[in-house]
Amino acid sequence: MFTKGTGSWLTCRVFTHFQWVGPASLGFSLFLVATIVVPITRLHATPANRAAFNAHYERFLSPNLNQCSTCHLPGDHQDPQTLEEFPHNAFGHRLKILGDELKSTGTRPDLESRLNLVADEDSDGDGVDNQTEILLGFHPGHSKSVPTKVELESLKEKQSEFSKFQNAYRWRPFNSVQRPDVPTVVDKAWPANPIDHFIAAKHKEHGLQPRDEAPRETLLRRVYLDLIGLPPTPDEQDEFISDQSDQAYEKIVERLLEDPRHGERWGRHWMDVWRYSDWAGWTDGNQVRDSQRHIWRWRDWIVESLNADKGYDRMLVDMLAADEQTPLDTNALRATGFLVRNYKMLSREQWMEDTIKHTSQAFLGVTMGCAKCHDHMTDPISQADYYRMRAIFDPHQVRTDRVPGEIDRTRDGLVRVFDTLTNNLTPILIRGDERYPDTNRLMTAGVPVALCGDTSLAASQGDLKSQTIALPFPSTQPDRRDFVRHDLLAVSQAEVEKARKTLAHLSDEKTPAEGQLTESQLNLELAEAKYASLSAVLRVEEIEDAGKKDSEQWIEAAKEANQRQRMVARAEARLDRHNVQSEVHVLQAKLDKWIAAHSGAPEESPEETSELKAIRGQMDKTRNDLEKLEQKLSEANERLAKADLELESEPSIEFKRRSMDSYPGESTGRRLAFARWLVDPKNPLTARVAMNHVWLRHFGRGLVPTPADFGRNGRPPSHPELLDWLAAEFMSRQWSFKEMHRLMVTSRTYRMASTPDERNASFDPDNVFLWRMSSRRLEAEAVRDGLFYAAGNLDLTMGGPEIDHKLGLESRRRSLYLRLAAEKEVEFLRIFDGPMVTECYERRSSVMPQQALALVNSSLVQREAAQLAERLTDVYGNDDQGFIREAYQRVLARLPEQEEIGLCTEFLGLPASETRALDSDSSLLDRRRNLVLVLFNHNDFVTVR
Amino acid sequence: MNIPSHQQTMKCHGVTRRSFLADTGMGFTGLALGSILFRDGVVRADPHGQAWEPPNGQPHFKPRAKSVIWIFLCGGVSHLESFDVKPELNKYAGKSIEDTPYASVLATEGKDVIGANPRHGNRKTIMPLQTGFKHYGKCGLVVGDWFRNIGECADDLAVVRSLWTIHNDHGAQLTWQTGRHPRELSHPTLGSWVSYGLGSVNQNLPEYVVLGVPTGDCCGGNFTFGAAYLGPEHGGVRLNTNAEKPLPFIAPPPGTITREEQLENLTLLGKLNHLAGIDYPDDNELRARIQSYELAFQMQSSVPETLELHREPEFIRNLYGMDRDETKAFGEQCLVARRLVERGVRFVQIFHGGGGGGAWDAHSEIKSNHTSLAGQVDKPIAGLLKDLKQRGMLNDTLVVFGTEFGRSPGAEGTGRDHHPQAFCAWLAGGGVQGGVQYGQTDELGFHAADKRRYVTDIHATVLHQLGLQSHRLEIPGRKRLDMDHGSVIRDIVGWERE
Repeated sequence: MFTKGTGSWLTCRVFTHFQWVGPASLGFSLFLVATIVVPITRLHATPANRAAFNAHYERFLSPNLNQCSTCHLPGDHQDPQTLEEFPHNAFGHRLKILGDELKSTGTRPDLESRLNLVADEDSDGDGVDNQTEILLGFHPGHSKSVPTKVELESLKEKQSEFSKFQNAYRWRPFNSVQRPDVPTVVDKAWPANPIDHFIAAKHKEHGLQPRDEAPRETLLRRVYLDLIGLPPTPDEQDEFISDQSDQAYEKIVERLLEDPRHGERWGRHWMDVWRYSDWAGWTDGNQVRDSQRHIWRWRDWIVESLNADKGYDRMLVDMLAADEQTPLDTNALRATGFLVRNYKMLSREQWMEDTIKHTSQAFLGVTMGCAKCHDHMTDPISQADYYRMRAIFDPHQVRTDRVPGEIDRTRDGLVRVFDTLTNNLTPILIRGDERYPDTNRLMTAGVPVALCGDTSLAASQGDLKSQTIALPFPSTQPDRRDFVRHDLLAVSQAEVEKARKTLAHLSDEKTPAEGQLTESQLNLELAEAKYASLSAVLRVEEIEDAGKKDSEQWIEAAKEANQRQRMVARAEARLDRHNVQSEVHVLQAKLDKWIAAHSGAPEESPEETSELKAIRGQMDKTRNDLEKLEQKLSEANERLAKADLELESEPSIEFKRRSMDSYPGESTGRRLAFARWLVDPKNPLTARVAMNHVWLRHFGRGLVPTPADFGRNGRPPSHPELLDWLAAEFMSRQWSFKEMHRLMVTSRTYRMASTPDERNASFDPDNVFLWRMSSRRLEAEAVRDGLFYAAGNLDLTMGGPEIDHKLGLESRRRSLYLRLAAEKEVEFLRIFDGPMVTECYERRSSVMPQQALALVNSSLVQREAAQLAERLTDVYGNDDQGFIREAYQRVLARLPEQEEIGLCTEFLGLPASETRALDSDSSLLDRRRNLVLVLFNHNDFVTVR
Repeated sequence: MNIPSHQQTMKCHGVTRRSFLADTGMGFTGLALGSILFRDGVVRADPHGQAWEPPNGQPHFKPRAKSVIWIFLCGGVSHLESFDVKPELNKYAGKSIEDTPYASVLATEGKDVIGANPRHGNRKTIMPLQTGFKHYGKCGLVVGDWFRNIGECADDLAVVRSLWTIHNDHGAQLTWQTGRHPRELSHPTLGSWVSYGLGSVNQNLPEYVVLGVPTGDCCGGNFTFGAAYLGPEHGGVRLNTNAEKPLPFIAPPPGTITREEQLENLTLLGKLNHLAGIDYPDDNELRARIQSYELAFQMQSSVPETLELHREPEFIRNLYGMDRDETKAFGEQCLVARRLVERGVRFVQIFHGGGGGGAWDAHSEIKSNHTSLAGQVDKPIAGLLKDLKQRGMLNDTLVVFGTEFGRSPGAEGTGRDHHPQAFCAWLAGGGVQGGVQYGQTDELGFHAADKRRYVTDIHATVLHQLGLQSHRLEIPGRKRLDMDHGSVIRDIVGWERE
């Protein structure tokens, strides 16, 4: 019946696209050429329409309809390139016409809605409607392909199954979030909040039985580690176990959410997603090649914002555009560290690429990199989209503003972004190759239409329509702020004090060298002149700030400044002349001495010793140097004379201004417009992606298992309704993370035990549908912090400059404060899968022998074990049982079982090691330290149950 | 990709308490379990899509090599005076390239280079060869006099003379290991793919070991032996050849704990872990952790034991040049490499001249620079080849000699500049054909001309000898490019996979 010419998808070359879909690895044009020539395998020949057709009918589509001929007429062309060469049949034609119609009325012409619209039509006029034909496996576009009566009888069942399928919840991450209804449940007693309703519905669907609530001590440790990254202390354990009130657990949750350590714990999570990195570069050269100095201020902003529950929407706007929204708010400006972090000294191209890639992955869960080089038929993001995104970021640059108390910006400063006005054009790069910009195709700032959902940008086809923002004065000239002036004066004053002290010190000496004394006096004179000059210049600036430029008062001040600068010039010239003169004296004295010593030596004598020869050589050189110096001296004299003259001449207003960085008075506003679109409640992705990240970190697995990819290469969610509900809830609660944390950790789902169940496991071995809580290994930071904390040694100081990574085993600060950058990281943390700075949307947890070695042998573990053993021995003396109980509580946050007490007691009673001759006291301590060491290595120490 | 059968997904479940205890043993027992236990052995099922399985430690087809010794010379060795000798340089010495019959090479000077550093390149005045050369072996391989000892092994070498790379600064050192431009930072290195694909054949040593001082921070640093997204368990483990302190945390701080105590501790730890694990009979991580403690404990002695070179007879140590000051340090590394391979380590990566831009970076005085550096490595590398051969180990050990790029035919004062347009490397053993010269540069050694090969073609060839197909080493969520996979250089492999 319809066999001849029925092309498989392989031969439908008109649809094939090229296999190269790699992330933007810029400009590997050679590879591009190589791959473009290669025809594509069947697997990759998946055009967008075919994918949509498949998605619409899914398992209801019979294989004979999963072909070109469903919509196209059989063609003669071996390799059709256009629709003319490969025309539609009646069905395909109808879909095409409908698409055009919808487009003209401004409706989205997606294939899915078109298929619904034509379902009851009979395109090929054979008397059977399209959907019936498709469900029964007959061609809707070919009148000779018709089901028989018998076949039509089987329709009813298929139809009802299909409508059930169609009514099931669909995952549409690129459509704006719509709050789904909360499912009703049979066991009304089980759910604690709506989350549990969604989970229970899936339990029912998959025949799963949820586990009971976890034992109290397990639950307590779980929620402590989850919310603050540290386990409960023995007192906190006892208190919770004995609290019989209904709300005991909820009280704990409230307390933990208010604990400042909560911001540190979750701050580190978001630092993963937002790719926190301290500066890196050539270690010895101190050259900043990646990220920037003082970026720790952004880290502190993250921690503070989470503790203050600032709202994710406000956080995003600050991170992307605080300099545009609140240009004078230095606290908010710290947030732009998110962008600063992408700085790359060696390549602006890579810098921009990372910025686009990670902004879209972190906030939108979309990988844009593939579109850098060319369009892809299956991707909803075009190459033009990519460069419109790039136009948002092209103008921005990084800078370091001064902070109060420090003039030297390499020592401290506020690193932030700003827009230059010189980099506003964004051409498409041909094949993504920076060497070949297409200057005919300049892009304006925008976002991909496919991601617009119902936001207002859908109407403008993604165009941001950003408005230029005028920036207030101090942000254009930050060094004219009062504190900078104050600090400059203070530094200058300190120079004066220093010079004064040196002079006083010299004067006190019994026989000060004359030259030294004069030099010191001249130094003081110079320092004082500089101070006076700086004060005078600042005075002029203040008059200007008050809007009185060119006033009489200003003229006076300018003249004063000029006069003061002349005095500096003279003081410099005097010091300079003095120094040259001293050098002359030194050389002259040296020469005189030689002449005196060797005046009797015969010239050019054949017996001349080599020593003499050398001295003669040196003398010649010295004479030479002396000549040059005398030239210098006369120059110095001239300068001094000139400076003197200058000082006597007519006062002038031509003073020299301070050298200051000056920045543009306006910003493009592109980033602010982009940020506002991101946090528009209609934005389809922002809230979904954020909630998925939060869920992932509470439950060990994202609802969407690929947290940085919600697109076609990602994987679909296990609970699409739940994720949509969470996103809707998050937005309606003012994007409050704390509210969502509270909801999640107080759910029944979260409180379940993590123990296995064979029956459930046989249906869902990976616990995708959450019939229990999943066990997890602690993150590197929690392992390291936990060691210090158990021994009572963790320093809970918050914030401040990063701590040298080489102090990773000694510093008692929490791990998030230790330096982390490419090539600069704490080895102990790296071994426990610490974050990769290049990207870390999800932590891994490996098991490897280096971890065992680190927990057995590192000086950190050994020291903390010894100290905990000593501390507990001070309390418990010879009471082994008491020691064991509290050691368990401190290290594993639970009491030991009877059998465990037995094993530990037996261990403590082992005879002392023969290789060490010890007295009984240190022998006792030794055994106990070893016991603590064993507990630090216990699987339960690194595992959250 | 396979869809896992029901049995596969079930393999870790339905384990009873009793069988769990039996499986993992009580306490420290030294069970000889395969490295597979340290991997993520669980098949990850996906409710909607296809399942993905991690490699199972088995090669994809019958391998020829078991292990790889990957020698890397940092800074850029002159191809012109080592294994791709160009006598025309003597003929036109002092002339500008423009005034030779080969002026056309300049037209395409920068075409392969991405993000070029303008300080390098554009060296036009031809510098004559700074050393003599000679034919070696039955194959008649021409080798510069700096590498006389390796020359003697000519009939075991397959020289690839048509390599090129994409960066003209020392970040190309990272490119040699990962195949990516250095500005893309960390990507899995060849060694990490081998570790990921095959795992170890030894329960007492890591799978991927790094010797010598690696590339400096400027040029890739730790990334040059990192595993990036494959995870740290597949990264190279740096060993110092000093048996006292071969790797971090290999021994407790002095005076803190004895080996006897450690054993007691591990025994207690085993018992406590089993007790606590009774409620979690399906916990693979716990099993893996128990095993990792046993390997860690073994490594504390097996690693230093491997490094005890004084156990080798004197004539062997001399073969590696350990009797002479200039060759001692590198000779030790080559000998340690052999001992590691003997004990089942899969991938040994040896760096020479690491730190900063690399010692071989002879912008000036190339003659004294290369004379002295080749003097450090020539004898030890030849010794390694000869020693492997006399033990029959060369059959299944693949030795690779490489650098990040060549050096310019044009002079930069008394030195030669960076030259990413052409360089060479050689492979020996592990089923690779000996006495083969593959590909060609032009007469000046300016461009890889005939049968051009990129860095990852070497990677693909190495994987192929190990029985691995690069395209099958995938990991979900990570897109690999064609350039990452490269293609096998069949002409030097000389066999089709079975």
